Amino acid sequence: MQRLCLALAAVTFCAPAMADTPYPLKAHEAPDFALHAIAGGNVRLSEHRGDVVILSFWGSRCTPCRAQLEALNRTLATYRSAGLQVYGINVDDDQTRALAYAHGESVTFPLLLDPEKAVSRSYQVDNLPMTLLIDRNGVVRNVIRDYNAKSEDLFLQQLRALLNE
Amino acid sequence: MQNVVRLFLVLACVAMPVAFAQAPLTAEPPPAAAADAAPPADTAAAPSDAVTPPPDTRGLDQEVQGLKKDVVDLNRELFVLEEELLFPANTQVAVFLSMDVGDFFALDSVTLKIDQKEVINYLYTPREVEALLKGGVHRLYLGNLKVGKHELVAFFSGKGPNDRDYKRGATLKFEKGIGAKYLELKINDRQRKQQPEFEVKDWE
Repeated sequence: MQRLCLALAAVTFCAPAMADTPYPLKAHEAPDFALHAIAGGNVRLSEHRGDVVILSFWGSRCTPCRAQLEALNRTLATYRSAGLQVYGINVDDDQTRALAYAHGESVTFPLLLDPEKAVSRSYQVDNLPMTLLIDRNGVVRNVIRDYNAKSEDLFLQQLRALLNE
Repeated sequence: MQNVVRLFLVLACVAMPVAFAQAPLTAEPPPAAAADAAPPADTAAAPSDAVTPPPDTRGLDQEVQGLKKDVVDLNRELFVLEEELLFPANTQVAVFLSMDVGDFFALDSVTLKIDQKEVINYLYTPREVEALLKGGVHRLYLGNLKVGKHELVAFFSGKGPNDRDYKRGATLKFEKGIGAKYLELKINDRQRKQQPEFEVKDWE
């Protein structure tokens, strides 16, 4: 419990600083992965070359994560026909809460489980929520480490630009 | 390191012919520039000359297509060469997976252990399962083993009959000789028992 509190405090206080640090995978090929989905079949990132992909790393205890997943759900409804795919990657140790969230919310995109944190490590997740924009060639084009109204507007602008490429 | 060498070779192959292809174009002034350089008297005498035909780019396009094909061929050769270097025939072991019908088993993942050491845990996506059911064969693992006796254990996870979670294992003790070793994991439907059947086949 103490460790958890420390981790949450670290995430909360370090978030503004994290937002400014450069992301090492930006402009690099997104690491491929295959993960179990809470509902539906397994998902492999490399099968979605040709689509713009949004990866959102989230935890069930993180309130902004939930708000962002709902915002991504709206974004997907708007841009799905333009070739957008959205995946939420859960990083909880205990998957029970993630499963409860998935069954309680009406998120239409696949929620993936990463209990061993292998994918989170390969994407160097240092903040929750953390959202990546991957272009049609499988290259990481941008990362958003803090979610708010301003960052969402910027994110949508970048997404539209990527979909138009 | 090998990937870097491969990338360098491919880039070199692309860059050189493109540079050569551009050289003749830059050596001559473009037709529009030539027309501008001509004295005004000529243009007045022959107005039809001022309308220059569009440059014929079909030849260049074909050349680029040919180059792309060469790059793909070269990449394939380099890939084969890389595999031959990393997995020489005297130590090479390859494990393939195939699936037939699939009425009684929906494949989710396969975990492979060789000599009690997990070498791969592969999750199959619905697209991959569909490809397997159409007759595709997936190379699940490629590695190196010493000559001698070895044991392979494969665990298959998925949905069995009546959509229940289903996990089964298959074991094979095999002897690795001097040549490459090919093993196949086969998933079949056993109609009589209404159950899936898992077997490991040694292709020598």
